[in-house]
Formats: sequence, C-alpha cells, structure tokens
Amino acid sequence: MTAARFDDLIHPPTRLAIVSLLAASQWADFKFIRDSVGLSDSALSKQLATLEQARYVEIRKGFVGKRPRTSARLTPAGRTAFEQHVAALQDMVARSGVTIVPR
Amino acid sequence: MDEELRSGDAAQALADIQRRQQQVIDQATVPVWYWWTVGALMVVLALGVDIRTSASIGAAVPVFTVGLLSATAVAVRGQFSQARLRNGLLDGSGVAAILGFVALIVGGTLGIAFALRAAGIHYPATLACLAGGIAMGLGGPVLMRTLRRIMLGNRAGSRR
Repeated sequence: MTAARFDDLIHPPTRLAIVSLLAASQWADFKFIRDSVGLSDSALSKQLATLEQARYVEIRKGFVGKRPRTSARLTPAGRTAFEQHVAALQDMVARSGVTIVPR
Repeated sequence: MDEELRSGDAAQALADIQRRQQQVIDQATVPVWYWWTVGALMVVLALGVDIRTSASIGAAVPVFTVGLLSATAVAVRGQFSQARLRNGLLDGSGVAAILGFVALIVGGTLGIAFALRAAGIHYPATLACLAGGIAMGLGGPVLMRTLRRIMLGNRAGSRR
C-alpha cells in the first residue's frame, strides 16, 4: 500500500491535471499536454518548469525530422509523490464528512 | 496549503485525476475502423490465394501488406506523436486477453478453412477469412474495451 502524503506542489488543479496525464504515460508530447489541459504554451512551460525544479518532471527536447519536439515524463520521484498524493486524497474521501487540514 | 481541504474537494480532485488518465488511455485506443480494415484485407489476401493464379496472388499480397502497414501506422500514430502509455498499465491479464483474441481469430479462421476444404466447398480460405474478418471487426472493439478496463484498473490510485 502506498503511504499517504499530501503534496502542495502537485495539488493545484493545473499541475494536478498535468501530473495525472504524465502518470498514465511513459512520456507525453508538449502539444498533447497543452491541448488536453487547455493551457497556452507559456503557461504550460511555466508549470513544467516548476515541476522540473522539484525534480518531479523531466523535460526532453529533440527533433522529429526538422521539427523541434518537446516531451515530458514523470521522474520516479514525481511518480512516487503523485501516488502518495492520490493516497492522501483517498484517505480524505474515506473519512467523508470530516474536515481535514493538510500539512 | 493553509486552507482546509474538505473531503468533497478531495473527491473532486480524484475525479479530475481519473478523467486525465482516461484521456491518455483513450488516445491510445485502436479505432473501430482498424479492425474492419484488417478483416477486409484478410479476405482480399485469401481470395488471391483461392483464385490460385500468379496474377491474383501477385496483386493480393502487396495490397494486404501495404494496406496492413498503412492502417497500422495511422492507428498507432497517437502513441508516437502524443503520449505513450506507461508499461505498467497493461498487466498479465491484458496480455492474456490479446493473445486469447489472436488465438481465437487465427484458430477459428484456420479451423473453418480446413473444414470447408474437407467438405469440398470452393473458396474455403476466402469464406473462412470472411468469417474471421467479421469476428475481428466485432471482437476488436470488445478487446479494446476490455484492455481499457484493465488499464483503468491499473492506473494510480485505483487499488487502495
């Protein structure tokens, strides 16, 4: 069973959406994340930079033919943090009706 | 986070997580048209073999090969251009479902073909592949729904 740990960095809706997409992927294309979450290029770059600084996400830049392609993936630390965050949310729901103050 | 997070907010966050992960799984699903296309290509190949002329075989084999490669390339394009599914989503039961489906289609088609041939019916391979193609067209989407259910069951947070 995964230990529950609420993660303030992951929890904001936009970052939670990004990390959730990445959690189901080996890697995901920048455009796919942008279009799925509904962000501008700059807004997504900013969010990914925050996650990268926390070492939750790894950014990979390359070329497909002559076109530049940016993709992202969760690091093992990011995946662990996400799973612990999900476990914390599930604990909160399990204690339905109780007000929880996350650390 | 300073503010209180209530269970309702947590439930909403969990629903959002599930929705996002479904997005990744759904973009990797093989479309319905693919199964019918492969079924039709099987019939074309079998017809070329049943006619038994070098011209028919010479025409059917390239159509089958090019058609299958093109259809597969289009069907799996999302996997390479958008997001590649995490390996752990498809466990042993998913692999067993795929192998079972393939065994059913191949075994059933061969069995029907040999039975028709033994009964002296013309175009046994074509008729067998017609049955196999229909089974593939109908069964492929069922296989996809099964794999989708397995993958959703293996995503983060689904097992606690």
